[in-house]
Amino acid sequence: MTDVTIDLNGAKVSHAVEPRQTLADFLRELCGLTATHLGCEHGACGACTVLVDAQATRSCLQLAVMCDGRSVQTLEGLRNDPVMDVLKRHFHECHALQCGFCTPGMLITARDILRRLVKPEAQTVRHELSGQICRCTGYAGIVDAIVAAGQELA
Amino acid sequence: MADHAASDGWIGARLLRKEDARHLHGHGMFIADIKMPGLQDIAFVRSQHAHAKVRQVTKPADAAAQVFTLADIGPLHILEAGPELAAHRHSPYPALADGRVRYVGQTIAACMQPTRAAAEDLADRVSVEMEELPVVVDCIAAMRQGSPRVFENWADNAFITSTVNEGKPASLASAPIRLRRQFRMNRQATVSLECRGSLTYWDHRLNELVVYLSTQGGHVKRLGLSQALGLPEHQIRVIAPDVGGGFGGKNRLMPEDIAVAAIAMKVGHPVRWIEDRREHLLASVHCRDHAYDLTISADKDGTLLGVEGDVYIDAGAYALWPTGSFMEASMASRNLTGPYRIKHLKLNTFTVATNKAPMGPYRGVARPGACFAIERMVDEVARELGREPFDLRKQNIVTAAELPSRTAAGMRLDTGDYIASLDMARQMIDMPAIRKRQAAGEADGRAIGLGFAFYTEQSGHGTVEWVKRKSRVVPGYESASGRMLPDGSVIFHVGVQNHGQGHETTLAQIAAHELTIDPSRISIRYGDTATTPFGFGTFASRSIVFAGGAVAKSCRALVEKIQRIGAHLLQTDVANTRVEGGAVHGPSGKISFAEIAYAANVRQEHLPAGMDPLLDATATYEPTETGGVFSYGTHAVVVAVEPDTGVVEILDYVVAEDCGTMINPMIVDGQVQGGIAQGIGTALYEEIPYDEAGQPLATSFADYMMPCAPEIPKVRIGHLVTPALATEYGVKGLGEGGAIAPPAVIANAVADAFRSIGASFNETPLTPRRVSEAVDRARRAKGAAA
Amino acid sequence: MKAAPFEYVRPGTLAEASAALGRDGITTAAIAGGQSLLPMLNLRVAFIDLLVDISRLEELRAVTETPDGLHIGALTTHAAIEDGKVPDLFGGLLRRVAGQISYRAVRNHGTIGGSVALADPAADWPGCLMALGASVRIAGRDGVRSEPVSEFVRDAYTTSLATGEIILGFDLPRPDAPLRWGFAKVARKSGAFASSIAFVVARGKGGPVSVVLTAAASRAHSCSQTAEQLEQGAGSDEALRRAIASDLLTFAQDADSYQQRLHTATILRAIREWRAQ
Repeated sequence: MTDVTIDLNGAKVSHAVEPRQTLADFLRELCGLTATHLGCEHGACGACTVLVDAQATRSCLQLAVMCDGRSVQTLEGLRNDPVMDVLKRHFHECHALQCGFCTPGMLITARDILRRLVKPEAQTVRHELSGQICRCTGYAGIVDAIVAAGQELA
Repeated sequence: MADHAASDGWIGARLLRKEDARHLHGHGMFIADIKMPGLQDIAFVRSQHAHAKVRQVTKPADAAAQVFTLADIGPLHILEAGPELAAHRHSPYPALADGRVRYVGQTIAACMQPTRAAAEDLADRVSVEMEELPVVVDCIAAMRQGSPRVFENWADNAFITSTVNEGKPASLASAPIRLRRQFRMNRQATVSLECRGSLTYWDHRLNELVVYLSTQGGHVKRLGLSQALGLPEHQIRVIAPDVGGGFGGKNRLMPEDIAVAAIAMKVGHPVRWIEDRREHLLASVHCRDHAYDLTISADKDGTLLGVEGDVYIDAGAYALWPTGSFMEASMASRNLTGPYRIKHLKLNTFTVATNKAPMGPYRGVARPGACFAIERMVDEVARELGREPFDLRKQNIVTAAELPSRTAAGMRLDTGDYIASLDMARQMIDMPAIRKRQAAGEADGRAIGLGFAFYTEQSGHGTVEWVKRKSRVVPGYESASGRMLPDGSVIFHVGVQNHGQGHETTLAQIAAHELTIDPSRISIRYGDTATTPFGFGTFASRSIVFAGGAVAKSCRALVEKIQRIGAHLLQTDVANTRVEGGAVHGPSGKISFAEIAYAANVRQEHLPAGMDPLLDATATYEPTETGGVFSYGTHAVVVAVEPDTGVVEILDYVVAEDCGTMINPMIVDGQVQGGIAQGIGTALYEEIPYDEAGQPLATSFADYMMPCAPEIPKVRIGHLVTPALATEYGVKGLGEGGAIAPPAVIANAVADAFRSIGASFNETPLTPRRVSEAVDRARRAKGAAA
Repeated sequence: MKAAPFEYVRPGTLAEASAALGRDGITTAAIAGGQSLLPMLNLRVAFIDLLVDISRLEELRAVTETPDGLHIGALTTHAAIEDGKVPDLFGGLLRRVAGQISYRAVRNHGTIGGSVALADPAADWPGCLMALGASVRIAGRDGVRSEPVSEFVRDAYTTSLATGEIILGFDLPRPDAPLRWGFAKVARKSGAFASSIAFVVARGKGGPVSVVLTAAASRAHSCSQTAEQLEQGAGSDEALRRAIASDLLTFAQDADSYQQRLHTATILRAIREWRAQ
C-alpha cells in the first residue's frame, strides 16, 4: 500500500492505496464521490472524466498514486462553478441527457471545451466531444447546450 | 421547470424534465454507486472456449470458500425460455456451467473478494480443465447437414423453424421482375453506457432477499428469480435504482443475476457484481445477426407483388428467459412487407443456435433487419426498372384512404398518412437539389448519394398480440397506483421502469392534465417491487401507451371520488360540479383538492356518509385494440462516399414521422434523435465479428466502434400527427422507431451514390472496407462486361 | 476490469529511474502519461511487476529551440503540442498531427515519448518524426545516445530501447527552407486507431521530399519511390499510383486490394494537401 494525498475538490484527502488503484476507484470507492461514472475502464467512453491539475482527465487511466500531490476536481467539487452553472442550465433546456450516466463526464468535458475555446461552433464542439460516448441522446442536445453556453459566456 | 402556463394544457407541452437535476448535480444513484456495509465483489471465471466440456474446476486452496461453482450455489431451477411452443427446443442455461460451455464468455465460476480487483485476481487463479468440442459460428452453416451440434440431443441446430405462406406465392414464378438478394445485418451489442449489475443481500430483519438490479422491469425479474431460486415471491424485493440505459439489454433474466442472488443467500452479507465493458461486449445480450436470402417480384409497371425466401436468425447458444429470441424471426417476417401492398409472401424462418453469446432484444427488435431487407429490395427494383426509388415507394405504399389496412403478413396498420410523410421527407431533404448536385459531381472526388427508407413501428400491443407470439409472460397491461396525500399532492407508483425515457415528466404531464393540477405537485415513482403495483417494465415502445393510460385511469378514479367529496362539502349535487384548476367548483363556490384530500385522509368525518376514506386508486390499462398502434416515418439521408477508402460521411439526415399525439414533443425528438444515433451505429460502425474458432473479435471499445458526436449528425425532424384511435389521447409508442430505418436509408444512399455501376450494399455495418470492396467489385464487373 | 497487482516507484532522478527499470528478474515498465499502458493493464493483457513513474522527471520535460532545430522532451503531451506550446518550425504539422490523436482528455496526458516508445504500428508520432528526419535521444546507464527514429522503431511494439534505457526526447532538425507538408489519416471513427496515415514533407520548393506511411505494416515506412516521383516533379496520378504500388510491395506485401486502395488514397490525399501549400 502507498500513501497518497490529493487536493480533492479543495480539501486535502489522504488514503493508503494499492498502486494499481485507479483515480476513478479512489474517488468512488474510498472518497464516496460517485458522480464520476465508469463506462469502459479503458479510456474510450469519457464517463469518468475529471480534472487533474485543471486538465480534463480520464480517471480510469490515471493511477491514484500518480496523482499524489496533485489537485483533482470532480463534478461534486464544481457545484458553485459559474461556467458549470450555465452549462447545467443549457443541458437541462436542450434535453442534453436521458439516462444521465454520461452526464457528469460530458459536463466536465464541456467545461474544458469552453475554457479553451471562445464561442465554439457546433462542428468544433462535435470534434471536441469525440471520445465522450452518450448512448441515449444522439448528441444533438449536448452539442446545442455547449454551443448555447459558449455564446452566453462569451 | 420551464415557463409553462397551466392554461396551455399539459398534453403536448415541451416541459423540461424532472429527472435532469439529480444527474446534472451528480446525484444520480446507479447500482455501482450504492454502498453497503460488508459488501463483497464478484468476478466471474468465464469460458475462453466457444464449445467445450468442463472437466474440472480447481479452486485455489487458500480461497476455496470464496469460489463458487454450480454445485456450491444450488440447487437451482433452470427455467425454460423462449415462446410457449412445443416445437421450440429447450436450451437449458445454468447460472454457472454444468459441465459444458457453449460460447466464449459463459460463466463457469464466481469469485468473491472485498474488492473487484481482488476478485479478478482470484478468478485468474482458478484453473479450469476443458476439452474442446467442434464449434459452429455461422447460422447458415449451422443448418447444413453434418454441422457440429450446439446441443447433442437436438436433431439439428434450430431452436425453431417456421413458415409464412400468404396469398398465392406460386404465382410469383412468372412475375416479369424477379430479383434475388442476400442481406446480412451483423451481430452487435446493446451497449448501455452503464453496464449491467446486481447488488444483493439477505435482509435478516424482514427475512427477504433484496436484489438491486439494473433492469428494465423488476417485477418480471422477481418472477424469474423466484422460480430459479425456489424462493416465494413475497420474500424477494427487486429494486432498480437509476438505470443507465437498457435498450433491451436489461430485459432478460441473466445467469449472473441468478448466481449473485444464490451466493447472497449462502453468505449472508451483501454481494455485488458490476459488469465491466469487456464482459458486456462478450456476454451481455447480443443482437441483430440476421441473414436474408430473398426474392422480390414485381410487375413491369413497378407494382410490387411478393417476397419469397429464407430468414436466418443467429440466436447464439441459449434462449434467455423469458421469451428467448424467437420474436426476431417472427417479427422480421411479419414486417418484411413493410407498408407495401405486397400480396404474396412465402418465407422460411430459422432461429438457429450457434456457439456465440445468447441473443436478446435490442431497440427496434427485428425490424431494422426487415426494413433493411425490404427497403434495399425496393431500391433494387427501382434500379432494375430505371425508376426513381422515391416514386416506386409512393406507387406501392398504402394511402391514408386505405387505412386501416391489413398487410399480407397480418399486421393491422391503423392510422396515418404514409404518403404525406414520404412527401414531407422529400421536401425536407430537397431531392431535386441533391439530384442536381450529383449530376455536377464533387470536387473532392467523393460520390454523393440520396436514400429514402420508410418504416412502421408497432407499439402499444396488448394481450392478443403477445398471446399470438406465444409469449411466456403476456405484457398486455400496465398499472398505476395513484395516491393523493392530505395536502393534495399526488404520488403515482407505476410498473414501468424509467431509464432515460423521461417518464417522471411525461406521466406527470398526463396526471397534471387529468387532475388539473401543476406537475410539480406530482411525483412518479417506479423501480421497487415492494412499493409498485405489478407491471412489466419498459420495452417494446409500450410505456407511454400503457403506463400513460394507467395513470390516466387512476387519475379519473381519483377525480371521481374527489368530485363526490367536493360536491358533498359544497352541499350540492355532483352533477352541478366541475373540476378545474385543482378544485371542485359548484354553483356557489369552490373547494380545493387540498381541502378535499385533507378530509379524505385525516378528517374523514367530513366525508359523505358511508364513503371509505383515502384517495387511493390502482388502475390497469390496455388499449381497446390490442394488435398495436403503428407509428411510422420516412427517413431520408444524403451521404458522401470516398470510393477508395470507403469512408461514408452523412451530410444531411431528415425524418418525417408520426407517433400520434405527442405528450412532450421535446422528449419525442430526443427519442427520435437518440434512436437514429443507434441505427447509425448499426448501419456504419458497430459489429462483433467472430473467428472460426468462435472467438469474438471486438471485446473492447478499441475494436467495437461506438459512434461519437462527430459521427452523428443533428437530425432534422418533421412531425405529422395522426392520433391513434385505440389509445388514451391518441398516443403511439415511439421509442424504437428511430433505430429501425437508418441501416436501410444509409445503405440505400450509398447504393444511390454508385447506382451507375450497380454496386450493392447489403451487409451492415457498412464499414469502409465493405463499402470500398463493393464499389471495387462493381467496377470490375462493369469493366469485365464492357 | 481492474489491473493485476504491481509495485510502484516514483524515482526522483533519471539514474534512479534507469536503475529501477533495469532491475533483474522482474518485469518493469516506465509510465509517463499511461494512456496506452493503463488500458492494457486494466484489461489484463499486459502484466508487470514494477511500474516506474517517470512522469515527474524534469530531464524529460525540456523543450528547447536551437539554431540546429528543436528538442522536444519525451514528456511533452500531445495537448501541449496541439495547443502550440512547442515552437513551430514545421509549418503547423506538429499541431495538426497532435490534434487528431485519440481524444482531448487522452491528449492531455499521453506523451510523445510514450507514443514512440510503445511503437504501436498505428501511432502517429513515429511516422511524423521519421518524415521530419528526427532522432531520438536516449539515456541509459552508460550515458546518452542518439538514433534516428527510423532506426529506433524496429517492429510492432519493438524498439532498440535496452533494459534500463529511457527516452529523453526528440531532436528535430530545423528545415533549411520553409516546410511544406501534407497529412492524411483514415480511421474507422473519430479518435479510433488509424487504418492508414500518410505524411508528405518537403523543404521548400524542389527540395528533398519525404513520404511516410503508417499503419500499413508493423511499423512506419518511407515511400522512397513515391518521394522520388515528387522530387522529380512528376505530376500524373497514374505515375504516382505506380510508384505507391511499388513502395507498398517493399514493405506491405501482405496488403490486400482494399488496403492497397486505402493506402494509395491516403498518400494521394496527403500529396494533394502538400501541393496546395
